[in-house]
Amino acid sequence: MNMQLLISGIIFGLSLGGIFFLMSIGLSLCFGLMRIISLDQLLYYSLGAYLTYTVGLLIGDVWLGVIGGVVVAAIVSLLVERVVFRRIYERDLPFTMITSFGVLIGGVGAIKYFWGLIPRPVPVPIAAQVDIIGTDIPVYRLVIIGVAVLVYLGIWLFLNRTIIGKAIRAGTEDCEHVEGLGINVYRLFTITFIIAGGLSGLAGGLYAPLIMVDPQMGLEVLAFIFMVVIIGGLGSIKGTLISSLLVGQVVSLGSLIYAPLAQMAPFAVMLLILLVKPTGLFGSALQKR
Amino acid sequence: MNILRWWWGLLLAFALMAVGRVFVPLPFANEVLIFSIYTMGCNYLLGRVGFISFGQPAYLAVGAYAAAFYLFYFGNNPYVGLLFGTVAGIVFSLIIGPLFVRLRGDYFALVNLALAVIIFYLMQKVLADVTHGDNGLWFLTSLTSTPILDLTRPDQFFIFAFLVAFALWAFYKYLDDSIFGALCLATKINEDKVKFLGYSSFSIRLFAFVIANTTTALAGAMYAVYLGFVSPAITGPERAADPVVVTILGGVGTLYGPLVGSIVYTGMKDVFSKIIGNWELVIGFLLVFIMLAGEKGIWGSLAPLLEKLFTRGGKAADRGSRQ
Amino acid sequence: MMNPDDILNVTELNVAYGESEVLFDVSVKVRRNQVVACVGRNGAGKSTLLKSIAGFLKPTSGTIVSNGESLVGRPAFAIAGMGIKYIPQDKKVFSDLTVRENLELGSYASQDYDWVPVFDYFPKLKILIDRKAGYLSGGERQMLMIGRAILGRPKLLLVDEPTEGLAPSIVMNLRDVFKELAKQAALVIVEQNLPLVCAIADKVYAIKEGHIMAEFTERASIKPEMCEQYL
Repeated sequence: MNMQLLISGIIFGLSLGGIFFLMSIGLSLCFGLMRIISLDQLLYYSLGAYLTYTVGLLIGDVWLGVIGGVVVAAIVSLLVERVVFRRIYERDLPFTMITSFGVLIGGVGAIKYFWGLIPRPVPVPIAAQVDIIGTDIPVYRLVIIGVAVLVYLGIWLFLNRTIIGKAIRAGTEDCEHVEGLGINVYRLFTITFIIAGGLSGLAGGLYAPLIMVDPQMGLEVLAFIFMVVIIGGLGSIKGTLISSLLVGQVVSLGSLIYAPLAQMAPFAVMLLILLVKPTGLFGSALQKR
Repeated sequence: MNILRWWWGLLLAFALMAVGRVFVPLPFANEVLIFSIYTMGCNYLLGRVGFISFGQPAYLAVGAYAAAFYLFYFGNNPYVGLLFGTVAGIVFSLIIGPLFVRLRGDYFALVNLALAVIIFYLMQKVLADVTHGDNGLWFLTSLTSTPILDLTRPDQFFIFAFLVAFALWAFYKYLDDSIFGALCLATKINEDKVKFLGYSSFSIRLFAFVIANTTTALAGAMYAVYLGFVSPAITGPERAADPVVVTILGGVGTLYGPLVGSIVYTGMKDVFSKIIGNWELVIGFLLVFIMLAGEKGIWGSLAPLLEKLFTRGGKAADRGSRQ
Repeated sequence: MMNPDDILNVTELNVAYGESEVLFDVSVKVRRNQVVACVGRNGAGKSTLLKSIAGFLKPTSGTIVSNGESLVGRPAFAIAGMGIKYIPQDKKVFSDLTVRENLELGSYASQDYDWVPVFDYFPKLKILIDRKAGYLSGGERQMLMIGRAILGRPKLLLVDEPTEGLAPSIVMNLRDVFKELAKQAALVIVEQNLPLVCAIADKVYAIKEGHIMAEFTERASIKPEMCEQYL
């Protein structure tokens, strides 16, 4: 395999990993703190993409579209948290999972209603390419990687340097203790949910120019996100980062080697890891709070 | 245990269905039967083992494609096709089971769904040479008539499906009432205690896993024989919700939930998709609504009421129903 | 006979876990600066009582009133905000956070950033301030839990089996800490360590299988043997 292919494959994999990461943090955080599997994050992902399309179309600026996507995704996730999840936090996992799946499916239906079934293209905001070691790399992909890195740093700072972030970290260990101190944990839940929704919307908005925006897009990417989250271990941000990078590279470089298998390779990796560590690389044997 | 007592629920339910057959179109009846067998697997996993599986389409596909491979490439006997599908289900579950069953509930759910997507992808792209990808495998015309019950004829297929369903339901009821059924439920509620009693929770779960998914594979094989063709569409991610929705709709963990849920779901789908093009919207909100309203489902809410009616104010003599 | 000055007045409390009843018509009264102890065997319902007062469990019937305000139905964090702090029995602190950060959370919740009293009671915490709480010993964790809870000058501390599993020297230390604390707050301590209880308690309730079996209000009558009888 020649150098150019390899380099573009790696960059491609990194940008893919970046998108996976943005999406998976939401799932991971929501699980860590609230012990729910928020399948509806995939809906916010789709909403982010669709809003990017619509706003980008109306205003002519895709970046504003992305921002619009993030905002709308965050608002919708807030609404869902208030109306649906707030009532069911104490319930067990299958329950909350089915409910979030219901939200996802219903949301996809709503998207179909408003936007129709036809896939929508979104123009790439930066068409330029840059030369890296003799290979032409689309700048947009580098931007995605950059955003993912910034988000990781932002999340890290938030969780480690702000009091709310520390409260959230404490909550992932034991929510009752946090509440016993007098902290309103329900507000923490809402904050976390909004962050998760916004990040998922960001992932969708950023990814939109690279794929066709269609109602099923959330479901198509669902398996990969699950694999990322499982490999990394639910609840671990570091684990999510590492596994997103890993899965991104596996898919990207794998498709250079043998295309059809590339989609399945992460699955094989996941099974292998689960054989050795049933809770993922960094997942702990967390109990229901 | 009074023999008649044990059987009367089953006999009544299936008698009702037989009567109902008169009023509904044949395709609807067949669809409902196969679908409820499909759902039974999911229902058992969720209600008795505590595993939520969004990946049932994977096992459906295994059964369907195994039957299809036989009927397309090798022979024409529908019964053998069904056999192939069922055996494939057993084998597949035995291979996958030991890994999946060790996982925590949430990981299990995610992994299962990933499995469904992978199988979909396998059938659609990777193995397209043998599966003919999206075009699917067609063998309707090559099926031979079978003695006693000609499976190539829908009305006789219905009778066959009816008998299979009855046998299955009797089997599941037996399972529920047996020690194994109690152990399953116990493992779901408190795994450690079951282990302390000396049982292997892993074996219990694995056994339940194999049974449930073989049932699903059987349904897949039945679909294959009934429709006369198989395509990746039956295992698409959009279909992953179906068994779960129907399970919840009917009532998780109840014996007749899948039947009731199937009838309602298929019926609603027929009615609604003519009116509202957007079926997902309805399912989604329906699901959320049911969950928020108490998750008991139709049969789940009806059954205790009926029990009170029939056992005259709660004499708990009937071991038959599990709520 | 409810006095608005009563820090805590529990009347005919019934609590159940699902279908099984755990507490039956429990009544407890705590006055200002009183040290009240609840003793009983494992499973008697002592922790359940504290959890119900703190708002983590919903009683099926009965009232819980503090200074004239009813606690039943309020979320646990609101009750903590009223100055009633619950210190659970599990000796769990936020392991990934440092001692400092644990205290910061307590300060954030109560808006009390004065750690001087905390270090007065537990000078060791000052030394351990930057250590990750996960590395603390059982006794040190107990200190941290109490230190965190006293931020915000609570009026009532609900302490669940503080000395369980701790070395005798630390137990004695805690005994002195509780004596001092009682000057500023009322304490309800659940304990199985009868000598400790009898040394510091003004009132003792003996609980057995969810019922209050006896109430000792005379300091002189509070002796381990007397309690034993009712358990």
